[in-house]
Amino acid sequence: MTDRDRFEAVYDAYYPAISQYAARRTSSPDDTADVISETFLIAWRRVAEVPEGERALLWLYGVARRVLANHKRGDSRRAMLTDRLRDELAAHRPPTSTDLEHVRAAFDALPERDREVLALACWEGLSGDQIAKVVGCTSIAARTRLHRARKRLAAALERRPSSTIVMGEA
Amino acid sequence: MTDIDHLIRAIDPAPHAPEQGPGARELRAAILAAEPEPHRPSRLPGLFGRFGRARGTVLLAAATAVAAAVAIGVGLPAAGPATEYANAAVSIKKAPDHFSVTITDPAADRRSFEEAFREVGLNVTVKVVPVAPQDVGKLLGPVVPEGFRWHGSIGVQYVAPCASAFCGKVWMPADFPGRVVLGVGRPAKPGEPYADDTLYDKSGEECLNGYQARGKTVGAVRAEVRRHGLKSAHRLLWTLPDDSFFDAAVPADRVKDDWTVNGCRAISSDTIDIYVNPGPGAGPAPDPLTVRRPEWYDDTTS
Repeated sequence: MTDRDRFEAVYDAYYPAISQYAARRTSSPDDTADVISETFLIAWRRVAEVPEGERALLWLYGVARRVLANHKRGDSRRAMLTDRLRDELAAHRPPTSTDLEHVRAAFDALPERDREVLALACWEGLSGDQIAKVVGCTSIAARTRLHRARKRLAAALERRPSSTIVMGEA
Repeated sequence: MTDIDHLIRAIDPAPHAPEQGPGARELRAAILAAEPEPHRPSRLPGLFGRFGRARGTVLLAAATAVAAAVAIGVGLPAAGPATEYANAAVSIKKAPDHFSVTITDPAADRRSFEEAFREVGLNVTVKVVPVAPQDVGKLLGPVVPEGFRWHGSIGVQYVAPCASAFCGKVWMPADFPGRVVLGVGRPAKPGEPYADDTLYDKSGEECLNGYQARGKTVGAVRAEVRRHGLKSAHRLLWTLPDDSFFDAAVPADRVKDDWTVNGCRAISSDTIDIYVNPGPGAGPAPDPLTVRRPEWYDDTTS
């Protein structure tokens, strides 16, 4: 398998997941497209380092995470975008629901570290071990962070009289 | 899954995975057309071996002999002042939806490039910047130093196959009022710092053929750099609470021999930047804005 074949396979398999990951953490289709393109461009340039199987997705999440962190710092970048991609991403952005606005507000008010592990667990569906690989910590630390983040979000929601929250297993 | 998890899932801003549409496939093709750089050390071939100088000379000759083809498209003016323009450095020809640009002399004066762009209606500042031998003739940027906040997008797309030093497309909205800077790589003089438009990769870059700097002590890497007949410069790599990072140049005496090296990057034909994780006594991280390094696109007067 050539590098090109390998990259195409990785791109085709994980474009939807990385696209979702980026869309969840950016506020505009432009920014989403920027993170997607930067992530896969790095993957192509370092295709020899992309691990096999499911670990490739975790590796890509880790790259996207760093791209996003740098993006937030406002570094100027050289986006490899297409107008068509941006339009596609705009079409995929669902309207914001107002029903759970208090949950969104409580979630947004959490520290970045909490939001990160909760999002990886609930939106990307990652286990504690997988989260550890993405954020670069031990499995125990990831599970601890996740447990504490759930507790903090539950506490924030319980302060609202309309919410009834039951904590389960961490 | 806990009730909390259910609530978080309910506020998922992107609950449905998108299919790969034409735009996604276009992006894949654009990325594949970019030059793969799977092994960072190969970025600076010939610098550290006995034949470094000879290889550099050969690359320079090759780069000036071949042409770098560029196409500029998307959002072009409906009718430029000229549809075709050529000078000793570059020729530009307008196609129905893009401009084909052929760079014939990467070391030409910047005014030659700017003149050609201007003649076809594109307002671009060009800098001819020093680069490593294998990057001669390639494009850096486009960069909008003040940040791109406009409709459309701006970017570069490499095109393959390419028999020249660089082939690709650069796109930008024709009515963008800001400063757009494009770099054309020329061979750096001995010891002259390279212009570089890539962020340091915190997961570790290597720069010494056959030697892994990452994880070694500063003392060990300094010794290895000396063994190659090169000079060391030092940058501390600071990580912020949100896990973003930045690096800042520091004098050698601020970096202890027993601190750990994150990686290294060649910054000229004779100097290596050693990226170091701040060790005990390094003090607090400085304000990133106060330690910003000069970028190749900052000064557009030369």
